[in-house]
Amino acid sequence: MATFSSANPWIAILKGLWVSIRHFFGNLGLFLRGRQDFAIHFPEQRLVQPPALRGMPVLAQMADGKERCVACGLCEWACPTSCITIYPAETADEVERYPEIFDIDMSRCMFCGLCEEACPEEAIIMSRQIEIASYSRRGSLWHKADLLVPVNQLKTRTDYLRRNYER
Amino acid sequence: MSNPVKTVKVTVDNQVIEAPEGATLLQAMLDAGLDIPHYCYHPKLSIDGSCRLCQVKIDGMPKLQISCNTQVRDGMVVHVADPEVEMTRKGVLELLLLNHPLDCPICDKAGECWLQNFSMRFGARHARTIDTRRKRGKRLDIGEQILLDQERCILCRRCVRFCREISKSNELFIFGNGDQSVLDIYDQRLDNDYSMNVADVCPVGALETKDFHHRMRVWFLEDTASVCPSCSNGCNIMISSARGKIWRLTPRRNDAVNDTWMCDAGRLNYKFVGDPARLRAPMVAGEGGPAEAGWDEALKRAAGAIADFVKRNGARTLGAIASPHLTNEENFRFGEMLRAIGAGRIAMAVPRGRQDDLLIKAEKAANARGVRELGLVSGEDDGLEAMLRACEADEIRGLYVCGGDLLEIGQKERVDAILGKLDLLIVQDLTMRPRHGRAAVTLPATTFAEKEGTFTNHAGRVQRIGRAIATPPGWRTDGEIFTALMNELSDRTEQFELAAVWAAMTRDGSRFAGVAFDSIGPEGAPVAGA
Ligand code: SF4
Ligand code: SF4
Ligand code: SF4
Ligand code: SF4
Ligand code: FES
Repeated sequence: MATFSSANPWIAILKGLWVSIRHFFGNLGLFLRGRQDFAIHFPEQRLVQPPALRGMPVLAQMADGKERCVACGLCEWACPTSCITIYPAETADEVERYPEIFDIDMSRCMFCGLCEEACPEEAIIMSRQIEIASYSRRGSLWHKADLLVPVNQLKTRTDYLRRNYER
Repeated sequence: MSNPVKTVKVTVDNQVIEAPEGATLLQAMLDAGLDIPHYCYHPKLSIDGSCRLCQVKIDGMPKLQISCNTQVRDGMVVHVADPEVEMTRKGVLELLLLNHPLDCPICDKAGECWLQNFSMRFGARHARTIDTRRKRGKRLDIGEQILLDQERCILCRRCVRFCREISKSNELFIFGNGDQSVLDIYDQRLDNDYSMNVADVCPVGALETKDFHHRMRVWFLEDTASVCPSCSNGCNIMISSARGKIWRLTPRRNDAVNDTWMCDAGRLNYKFVGDPARLRAPMVAGEGGPAEAGWDEALKRAAGAIADFVKRNGARTLGAIASPHLTNEENFRFGEMLRAIGAGRIAMAVPRGRQDDLLIKAEKAANARGVRELGLVSGEDDGLEAMLRACEADEIRGLYVCGGDLLEIGQKERVDAILGKLDLLIVQDLTMRPRHGRAAVTLPATTFAEKEGTFTNHAGRVQRIGRAIATPPGWRTDGEIFTALMNELSDRTEQFELAAVWAAMTRDGSRFAGVAFDSIGPEGAPVAGA
C-alpha cells in the first residue's frame, strides 16, 4: 500500500509516469537492437498470471457436490455493481439454508473481489478464469450450476487469501 | 388531567435530562436520545432485570445499578461514559456470546439483531474462549407460526413476559438454572392470535416467524409506514418490501392504537398484493365474454354505459356499493362522482368476523368508519338490506360495486339473483370473480400497499397509509378511476391530488373539518367527536 499513500499527489503521478517512461525506453532499446514483435499471441501464447489474479467470481463446491454458500446475502450487499442476485431457501441439512437461485451478471461484474472479501464462508472465490466472453447478453448471466467449481481447483486463490487477509 | 405529572431533572454525564416523576431511568435516558444498550427491558412489558446490560453508575450508590429498574429522582447524577460501566458491558456481552452459535449468516435476525449491534458497539471484538459451545435444540417447531432456536436465546424473558402479560396464554417458560437454563414450551404449543409478536420482541434470532424464515435479508428491505388493512382497529405497521414485493409486515408503535403489537392474521394478510390472479388490466364485456382492454378505452366504455343507463332508466335507479377497503379520499371522490351522476342509493358491505378485547375487531376492513364519517352511508347495516330490497323491487336497476365484499356477506343466492337481473353492473375489484362476468366493465382495484391516503379506524382516528409497491405504468388507482369517470360524466377537469381532495373533504360541516392534512403525523389524528 506504500506506493499509494504518498502525501504529495504530484509525486504519486510522477511515480506512475515513471513506469510508462521506463517501459517506453526499455522497449525502444529492444527495438533499436532489432526486436520486431512486442505482442503476446493470445490464445496460443499466454502470460503466467500472478497468484493475486482476480478472475471471475465462482462458487466453491464441496466434495458432496453441494455449494458451500449459505445464501447469507453479504456478497450481494457488498457488490458495488449489484450484479449478484440470490434467493435463499431452506434445506434439511445442518446449514439450514442454501441459495435456490444464485446468479451473477458477468457483464456487470468488475472483478473487484469485494464479494469474496465479504463472504463469511469462503464460498465465493475469485477464480483464475478470465475467458468469459459470450455471444449474447443472456450468456453473460451465470447461474448457480455454471458457477460451481470444486474447492480443490480453487486452491491457489484460497491459499493466497488465507496468507494475505485477516480471517 | 387535573394533576399534571411533575418532571424531575437528572444529570447524565454532565447533560441534564428531564423525565416525568416515576419514570425508569433507562426510559428517561432512551427518551433523551441516549444510546444505552439493554435487552430485557421492553416499554410495554413488566420489568425483569435479567440481562444486566443496562447498568450505570449513580452517585451515592455503592455498586452499579440496572437503570431499567431504577426510578428517576430529582438531582440524580448518573455516569454512563465511565470505565467501570464500559467494562461491565463488555463483560455482560462476552458472557452472552460465550455459548452463542455463529449463526449470523443463516439467522433471519442478522442485520437488525440487538446482540450483533450491541456487541459491535459496546463489546470486545474478539472471543477468548477455547471451549466448545453448548449444543441446544435448533429449528424447533413450537407453534403454528414460530420456530425456536435455543442456542441463540439470551434468556431475556421478553417472550415469556409477552405470553404471560399480553396474550395471557402462558406458553413459554425458562427451564433449569444457571448455564443450564433453556427456553421452551411446556404443556401447550405456542398458538395464539398474537404469537408472532414474540419474534419482534426477541432481541436476537431465537424466535423466528416461519413466514419470513430464510426468505429475505433485512438489509435489502425498505420500510414504509402504513396501517394494517385487515380490520377496523387500524394497527400501525411497517411494510417491508424489496424487489417489488412485500416480504413481511411488522407492528409500528402507536400507544393510542396498538402499542407495539399486531395480530397474526393481520401480519400474514399481505399476500393478496402480489397475487398472480389479480386483475392486471380492465375487462370489458364483449361477444365472447369479458376481454382485456386499455385503461382509457375501459373508462370511456364505463362512462358511456353509465350515461346510457341514466338516459334509459333515470339516475335515481342507479345504486352504488362503497368499499370499506378504500381510503377516505377515494370514498369522498366516489361520493362526489355519484352526486355528479345523481345516483339514487349508496350502501356498504362490510365483511365481519371474530373479535377479542385486545386488538382484533369484528369488522374485517380498515375504513368502514371513514365511509360512515363521510356520510356516504347510514343505518345499522350501512343501508345494505334496503339496497338489496330496492334491487329486488327493481327500484335499483344498475349497480356500481366497489370491492368484492358483497359476495362475502353470506347471502350468496340473494346477491346472485340480484346481480343476474341488473341492467347495468360496473365492478371495481382486485380479482376477476365468476360473478363479475355480467359486468359491463370490470376495473382493477389497487391495494393498500400501492397508494397513499388515509384510513379512519373504529375509534375515529385518521391514519396515513404509505405506498410501498409501485403500480405498472399507466395504472389508475381507485381514486383516479372515480375522478376520470366524474370528469367524463360531468365535464369537469379534476385531478386526484391528495391534499386538494383532503381540503375539499374537510370543508365546513364535514366530520373531518379541523383536521389539516399535514397535521396527521405518524400516530394519526382523531376526527372531531372521536
Ligand atoms: S467481483 Fe465485485 S463486481 Fe464482481 S460480483 Fe464480486 S463484488 Fe460484484
Ligand atoms: S457471502 Fe458467501 S455465503 Fe453469503 S451469499 Fe455470498 S457466497 Fe453465499
Ligand atoms: S427467545 Fe428471545 S425473547 Fe425469548 S428469552 Fe430468548 S432471547 Fe429473550
Ligand atoms: S388487530 Fe386488526 S388492525 Fe391490528 S393487526 Fe390484526 S387485523 Fe390488523
Ligand atoms: S435492560 Fe435492565 S437488566 Fe436488562
